[in-house]
Amino acid sequence: MNYPVWDVPFLGAGMVVAIIAIIHVLISHFAIGGGALLFVAELWSDRQPDGERIREWLHKYATFFLVYTTVFGAMTGVGIWFSIQLASPEGTSLLIHQFVFAWAIEWVLFLVELTLLYLYYYGWRKNSRRLQVALAGLYFVIAWGSLFVINGILTFMLTPGGWTIENRDMAAGFFNPGYLPSLLIRTLVMFLVAGLGGLLVAARLEEEGGLKERIVVFCSRWVLPAALLLPGLSYWYWKTLPSNTARLMAAGATGLGGGRLEVMTLFAVAAGVAGTLLVLGSLLYQVRPRALGVAGAMALFVVAQIGFLGGEFARELARKPYVIYDTLYSNSLWKHKAAEAGYRQQPYLSLTRWDPDVVPLTPQHGEWAFRLQCASCHTRSGYRGIIPRTESWTPLSGFKWLETMDQQGVPPPFVGTAEDRAAISSYIQSLHGKNVGAAEILAEAQADGRRRSDGGETREVMP
Amino acid sequence: MTVDDTRRDPGIPVAAGREERSPDPRFVPIPPEAEERSSDPRFVPIPPEAEERFSDSRFVTIPPEAEEALPPADTVTGKLGRAFFRRLPVWPLVEFLSKKKVPRHRHSFWYTIGSMALFFLVVQIVTGVLLMVYYSPSQPWSSVQRIVMEIPFGGLLRSIHHWSANLMLLALFVHLFSTFFMKAYRPPRELTWLTGLALLGTTMFLGFSGYLLPWDDLSFFATRVGISELEKMPLLGTWIAGLARGGPDVTVDTIGRFYPLHVVVLPLLLLAVLSVHLFFVQVQGVSEPDSFRALPPEQKRYHRFFSEYLVNEIPIWMALAALLVALSALFPRVLAPEADPAAAAPEGIKPEWYFMVPFQMLKLFPGSLELLGMALTGLIPVLFLVVPFVDRSVPADRRGRVATRVGVAFLVYLVAMTVWGMVS
Ligand code: HEC
Repeated sequence: MNYPVWDVPFLGAGMVVAIIAIIHVLISHFAIGGGALLFVAELWSDRQPDGERIREWLHKYATFFLVYTTVFGAMTGVGIWFSIQLASPEGTSLLIHQFVFAWAIEWVLFLVELTLLYLYYYGWRKNSRRLQVALAGLYFVIAWGSLFVINGILTFMLTPGGWTIENRDMAAGFFNPGYLPSLLIRTLVMFLVAGLGGLLVAARLEEEGGLKERIVVFCSRWVLPAALLLPGLSYWYWKTLPSNTARLMAAGATGLGGGRLEVMTLFAVAAGVAGTLLVLGSLLYQVRPRALGVAGAMALFVVAQIGFLGGEFARELARKPYVIYDTLYSNSLWKHKAAEAGYRQQPYLSLTRWDPDVVPLTPQHGEWAFRLQCASCHTRSGYRGIIPRTESWTPLSGFKWLETMDQQGVPPPFVGTAEDRAAISSYIQSLHGKNVGAAEILAEAQADGRRRSDGGETREVMP
Repeated sequence: MTVDDTRRDPGIPVAAGREERSPDPRFVPIPPEAEERSSDPRFVPIPPEAEERFSDSRFVTIPPEAEEALPPADTVTGKLGRAFFRRLPVWPLVEFLSKKKVPRHRHSFWYTIGSMALFFLVVQIVTGVLLMVYYSPSQPWSSVQRIVMEIPFGGLLRSIHHWSANLMLLALFVHLFSTFFMKAYRPPRELTWLTGLALLGTTMFLGFSGYLLPWDDLSFFATRVGISELEKMPLLGTWIAGLARGGPDVTVDTIGRFYPLHVVVLPLLLLAVLSVHLFFVQVQGVSEPDSFRALPPEQKRYHRFFSEYLVNEIPIWMALAALLVALSALFPRVLAPEADPAAAAPEGIKPEWYFMVPFQMLKLFPGSLELLGMALTGLIPVLFLVVPFVDRSVPADRRGRVATRVGVAFLVYLVAMTVWGMVS
């Protein structure tokens, strides 16, 4: 770690956030949907002659639920905070300041949620049946409330809607175009995950007297709402995406994007495939409940985890190159500032919050400029690595590419002087094992510029 | 002019009188001798002995057990089932399979690895056929580029094919070692073991032949290096290398050889050996580890293969399918620049991980020691081939324990060499 820039080799900071997040997201959906399952199963068990035995299974479920959601949920939840503020301090700060009240509500809800869960779990033998049912139901309502809140902030990042950097209209940002479809999609998905958790616990039951069958059928039904409604809701959600994103995603499928950002589409496909498989898998056990084994149930959980990976990655990538769509780039550059006259022509390092104070045109200059301006999106040779992407660069072509890099489609505009560009180009050459000084590149570029103006040539198109 | 003449030569004008009867001279009525032939006694009645054969008891009756197991005769499935078994006397087979059991114990999970490999094979066949739609061996690189850049989902298919190939090989290696440590190679399963080794070998060749097909920098030079290592083999080396390349160097002619190998010859071979392998597994059942075998009968627990065990395989295949798509999204297979045979080989050309051990061995034994390195590498398959004939005792005796230890050493050696080769 290189404070103040979080320079994670191979993965990149964004990827670390993403890895923690996809684990967390599965858990957090389970934490809410599982509450609904506890509540419904409590009611269901009351109506069954062997309700006691159903509740034995439910107790195992609750144990798994409690450990999995509170221990791992809390760990990964804190992990997300820890990593996002390192990956994007500006973005984190904006989200905190813009949604102070939402966060306050969210944390109160978390606290109540946890309290209710402990009351429910540890009161298993002592509490009356009615109290248990009420606690489970209340737990679900509060937990779902926490989704209601966080969903506004999450969807804001991709579809800020009527919110702008000038009006800072919290309500418009919170109830943004993506809010409702996303809320419904997540709600259905959490029911699905709750059912999968139920299957996992039921897989260990011995088959006797048809109890296992009934529980398995009960759990596998939780997939049905998602199976029926998700296609339509996904289409709705797709319709709310920024048109640019939607176009890129479609181009990724047809290959018209020339391979560019196809990854976003691939992740969306992964989510779709996983979702379809989950529906089929759950239906399989509805038909053959007796067959359910631990390996099978675990495999479905893995499918769900992969589905979350696909969905959340697609959502994250849909935002590239922004952290807050159309507002803040991933490298903490504000779009409105980049648009100000003269802003982009200032020496880059002097604009950063932690000026490393290096001597211009030294190798350190290039490295720091790369870290601060590029490393939030590109690793060196790992995820979205810069080395494979600059295979064909010469010192001069790199220098020129940087000047117009925002015209290449996705990357943000370059901020900095010719010296900064020469330094980065020199640094990138050094990554390829070639030693070309930044001052040399700058001189070459100036000579090239003079030749061009002497010859009366127009600007050459980039290779 | 006779009727026959007209038929033979449609160009000849038809006599006026004939015209009404048959406007087109080519379509004259059936000639009398043909008419006659159709009344040939050989063709008309069903001979009595055939009639008899059809009512052969083997074909008609449904065994009472089958009758019982089938749905009622007045339902559609019941009717179809009865019609089926009335025609095909396969009830004993169905009965055999329905009784098939899979032992349940601590190590049961390992039984699944083989079916995982099978799943990857199916994926390979499906994606491979789809890739063939646009792949062209005469323009290897540009056709692959078109698949990746232009064809809808082409890049995804290619990445899945790549990942599935690698995972299939990984699954096969895991399967090899898990069956090794369960000592499944002992009698009566020697042939299952040997066919399994053949499957692994065939799959490695499939990987090798497929790797060249995109004709990019990496694949070209890796293949060139691979074959030139082969060339150093004593006696047959030069001949084999020349045959594989179709000349002194890797050229488009090599693709002419590798392509049919990759899409026809090796897959057919693989399927043939696989059917033998699976036949043995089905007939003999999976092997039981000694610890399970030693249990008293009342403590032995089983899964029924149909459908309890099989149903639980399905989600595992689903997870693998999802994994393939996710891996293809996270790490899409990139197409390197087109191979330029005249250029110097890029630095650090390495084979795929499953060929890393021989590669690393040759690096360790340079120059005149090379033959020694080769001989040592050649020992690996030989040891696997002979083990079922050396370690035969159930339960394991001293030889069995030695075999296990050798296996552990082998596993460590293979993994270490592979990792070393990949990072160095
Ligand atoms: C906000 C995120 C972001 C930042 C910051 C960023 N890039 Fe990129 N860059 C992208 C994306 C997204 C792409 C396109 C997708 C890809 O190639 O994976 C891309 C593509 C590229 C490419 C490949 C272009 C092509 O046509 O193949 C290069 C080279 C590159 N960036 C260099 C840089 C350099 C140098 C910097 C720092 C000055 C930088 N990028 C900063 C997001 C970013």
